[in-house]
Amino acid sequence: MQLTRPKTLRLSRKQTEAFVGYGFVSIPMALFLFLSVGIFFYAIYISTYDWGIMGPTEYVGLDNYRKAFSDPIFLKAIRNSVKYAALVVPIQSALGLYLALLVNSKIKGSKFFRSAFYFPSIASSAAITTLFIFLMAPDGVFNGVLRFFGVDTANLFNQGAWLSDSRTALYSIIGLNAWTTSGTMMLFYLANLQTVDSQYAEAAMVDGASRRQVFWYITMPLLKPAHLFVVATGMIGALQLYDQAILAGGADGSPDYSLMTVVLYIYNACFRKFEFGYASAIGVILFVIIFSLTLLQKSLFGSGAWKAND
Amino acid sequence: MSRVRKLSFYGLLIFYSVLTIVPFLWSLSTSFKPSEEVYQSNLIPEAATMKAYATVFGKIQPNFQTLFANSLFIACVVVVLHLIFAALAGYAFARLHFPGRDLLFFAVLGCMMIPDQLRLVPMYQLLVNMGLINTGPTNYLAIFLIKAISAADVFLMRQYFLTMPKEMEDAAKIDGAGPFQLFWRVMLPNAAPVLATVAILTFQGTWNDLFWPSIVLQSPSHWTLPFGILQFKGQFSTDWPPIMALVVLSTVPILALYTFGQRYIINVQLASSAKG
Repeated sequence: MQLTRPKTLRLSRKQTEAFVGYGFVSIPMALFLFLSVGIFFYAIYISTYDWGIMGPTEYVGLDNYRKAFSDPIFLKAIRNSVKYAALVVPIQSALGLYLALLVNSKIKGSKFFRSAFYFPSIASSAAITTLFIFLMAPDGVFNGVLRFFGVDTANLFNQGAWLSDSRTALYSIIGLNAWTTSGTMMLFYLANLQTVDSQYAEAAMVDGASRRQVFWYITMPLLKPAHLFVVATGMIGALQLYDQAILAGGADGSPDYSLMTVVLYIYNACFRKFEFGYASAIGVILFVIIFSLTLLQKSLFGSGAWKAND
Repeated sequence: MSRVRKLSFYGLLIFYSVLTIVPFLWSLSTSFKPSEEVYQSNLIPEAATMKAYATVFGKIQPNFQTLFANSLFIACVVVVLHLIFAALAGYAFARLHFPGRDLLFFAVLGCMMIPDQLRLVPMYQLLVNMGLINTGPTNYLAIFLIKAISAADVFLMRQYFLTMPKEMEDAAKIDGAGPFQLFWRVMLPNAAPVLATVAILTFQGTWNDLFWPSIVLQSPSHWTLPFGILQFKGQFSTDWPPIMALVVLSTVPILALYTFGQRYIINVQLASSAKG
């Protein structure tokens, strides 16, 4: 009897553990099932209907998807989002890397500079975009600085109205977000830089490599995990542009739809035209784009290229 | 480093710091300026006034106190929800053994792939069906439901619990602790740093969020600070000092949080980068 007792006790301990395990994950898993998985399939379902404010009226199959690609404003939104992503991602990544290299050197006050550079990343997009709109106004500080350097802003091609001229609005927002996001990108690069062994660079220097060669042939390849991460997260974030666009250009992405993005387009379809089925189809299209990019990132990453806990 | 090199190096650092800090100083300065001075290039206001603050604390509807209270309330509830669910699920996925565990965890990772913009329409429709899109107090429940759980936080907690030494667990087991006591009395207290990380990042993300509040919150008395800024920016299009006062007041809490919790935020940037 004495011999079997521990055995049953161990078995019941295992069972208790499984029981507690299921108990712990039950509510979280129910929430995920409901709020992510269920919602995901509900989105696809809605997208196949003519679905107004009173609910579904007619099953339309893929018509909502077809309609999207024949709407010039949607195509404009796609072009804007792609143009924005294609420009903002390289700029913020390069700037983030540059800042990381600057503050990673052993210098006095590097902690202060690190905090200062990260600072624009912590404020809300609403606060920072509003501030930016103020600074970029025709009578604002930005034009004041240009005038100080002898630029006649009133006679520029856009009269110094950076955000209300359709030729410069999107580029201004690119500048804004490159500035705010580069702080976060800097942190990712710093994290990777701290895992890079400096002896490779030192050995190359001993062998007579120049600073530039060390950077391009040693440091850059060693930062590959951070490059991929920064570019992938940057891309996904860029395709979700909404806050800055609605703050600077309103729901229409003014002027002349120059700030119309895919997400802003979804917002319009949903809350101004009440075309829920159509809006949902655009959401699915956006998801497919982002999902493909994520898969691309995963395949580039390989497995466990960079573990923070190492 | 040569002297010239060192000088230009510091020159660059200082130049970029000016670019990151001065705009915020400008908003602070503008919030104290009388309207005539708004477009002048002086950083120190000549005739400093508290008028803008009087406006945002008193005259606007909803006033700053309401916006602040809403932002704080929503952010705190979401932080608590994230902490509870991430700790429970993260612990179970890392330290408990039960059939189907890895499959469930894989499903959680899959949930990270679903962008909020895809959730927008079905979520809104669901909330309408549930009667939560209204002007009454249950409207807050809509935000809580949308933000109830975060797959990224579950992932973060799991990674942390995985790193805890097995000996800690064994010692408690010998003392006769069951899985629940083990979690509550031993593992959770030792997870304080990652709990702080999850709390700070969730607070910052919820506090700063504009997307969901602008879609879900129906009554001005429910607006959060970012949503309030969006609304008032339209109303006060040329009266900048009160808007700048809102910008300053909404940034100060997050700046304080960041200053005190800096090491936890840097921690998490590291940890979350392992996600890929």
